[in-house]
Amino acid sequence: MESAPQVIHPRGGQDETARRDDAPSGGPVPLVDEIAALWAELLNRPEVGAEDDFFALGGNSLTGIEIIERVARDHGVRLSVRDFYLAQTPARVAGLIERERSGT
Amino acid sequence: MRLTPGPARDIDLDTVDLFDLDLYGTGDPHPVWDVMRAEAPLHHQVLPDGREFWSVTRYEDVCRVLGDHREFTSERGTVPTHLGQDDVAAGVLLTSTDPPRHTEVRRPLGSRLTARAVGSWEDSIRRSVTRFLEPALDGEVFDLAEKALLLPAIVTGPLLGIPEKDWEELVRLTAMVAAPSDPHFQLGSEAATLAISHHELVGYVTEWVKDRRHSGAEDDSLLHHLMSVRPGGAPLSDQEIALDGYSLLLGANVTTPHTVSGTVQALIERPEQYGKAQADPDLIPNLVEEGLRWTSAACNFMRYAVTDVPVAGGVVPAGAAVVAWIGSANRDAALFAAPHTFDITRPNAKRQIAFGFGPHFCIGAPLARLTLRVFFEELLHRCDSLDLAGEPDHLRSYFIAGMTHLPITAQKRHTP
Repeated sequence: MESAPQVIHPRGGQDETARRDDAPSGGPVPLVDEIAALWAELLNRPEVGAEDDFFALGGNSLTGIEIIERVARDHGVRLSVRDFYLAQTPARVAGLIERERSGT
Repeated sequence: MRLTPGPARDIDLDTVDLFDLDLYGTGDPHPVWDVMRAEAPLHHQVLPDGREFWSVTRYEDVCRVLGDHREFTSERGTVPTHLGQDDVAAGVLLTSTDPPRHTEVRRPLGSRLTARAVGSWEDSIRRSVTRFLEPALDGEVFDLAEKALLLPAIVTGPLLGIPEKDWEELVRLTAMVAAPSDPHFQLGSEAATLAISHHELVGYVTEWVKDRRHSGAEDDSLLHHLMSVRPGGAPLSDQEIALDGYSLLLGANVTTPHTVSGTVQALIERPEQYGKAQADPDLIPNLVEEGLRWTSAACNFMRYAVTDVPVAGGVVPAGAAVVAWIGSANRDAALFAAPHTFDITRPNAKRQIAFGFGPHFCIGAPLARLTLRVFFEELLHRCDSLDLAGEPDHLRSYFIAGMTHLPITAQKRHTP
């Protein structure tokens, strides 16, 4: 299943291009973009959108294992296996990491 | 699915949907397979999402597809719930590997699971079975299908090296793999259910191996054996150990309970067969074979055609998926006279292929046979009669034929 490239709407719902223009170069990359980029790398996709579905992108338990490991290493958060697969999109996975970090 | 088929009905093979979960959850697939064997021994179906598969249903053709890895490869997946997605574990997981590598890895594993090797487990299995049956004998309603889900773990847990505290969770995870669409086991969606259960099971074995390496402890468990074998002169990779460990857990857990429940149901419906086995316990090994034929818990396995392969009067095109319906083959009148009759004295019951056929024949078959024999010896020895105490519920799965509920009551035998 081919997914059309999607505009990423991070928290606040700004348009992707607008945000990128405003952001100083080298500034922090929003978490959701980092997660989307990680998925694109591990799922061999040129681009992954914030709302793209993990399984529709060809994700499976072996890529899931890698993603959870990378998130633990890069973001210091060990996602629960169940939460990860039920979240299913970079936006919701980023939300899980935020929640985990803020301890709520 | 009903194991005793209802009356024959009009079946249109052009519109029949073999992946319709209702057909197995509440329906009756045997009359469909009867017509397929008679009229369309090579059947083609396109699913609503465009995926396609071929089906063989006759005994001879099912054996051919499962037995010939040169024409029908296992390396693109063997389970129809994964139809259309190439197996990510191909060539690593033993069940998704063709000979010669398959033979190399299987041989050292199989050496620990021969009838002779598992024979030493009989006393311990008998103790486990006795303990398992105890609560069934107090006269209260006993949900055999639900309880039996834990039976393989009770029996194989020590053999595999899995501590008792983990059994329940592992049994739940393996049930999720086997029937990801059954409401008892589904989490989110079918895809999520499969991914969660695969991930956690593979993760479990990976952790087990890591702990073992760390502590340096050794035992004669099967998982430890996986760590020490050297097929082709080199040890298995960590991924191979994790996936094959997963596969052993799955194979042990998801089929045997349904053979137990389905065979007990058949005996309850046919008290004369129950009486016959009770009067002559020497019939029990054949009862087990007939129960395996009758229940065919692994309902099918899938292969992919390597080239255009002529089979069952047609041609499976190169690259196409073929589902070999074991449940149908075991009811083929060409081999089994009056195939829909449950008969514990059936002379050729042993030719059933419930354990599959060919290179991937169930590696745990000797252990399953031993467990089933001991189970029925103890059941018949301890119970005068059995009764249904409610309607059975069937598993919503086109891959595993089984039950989720089978409420029964047992009459304890007073003069054992």
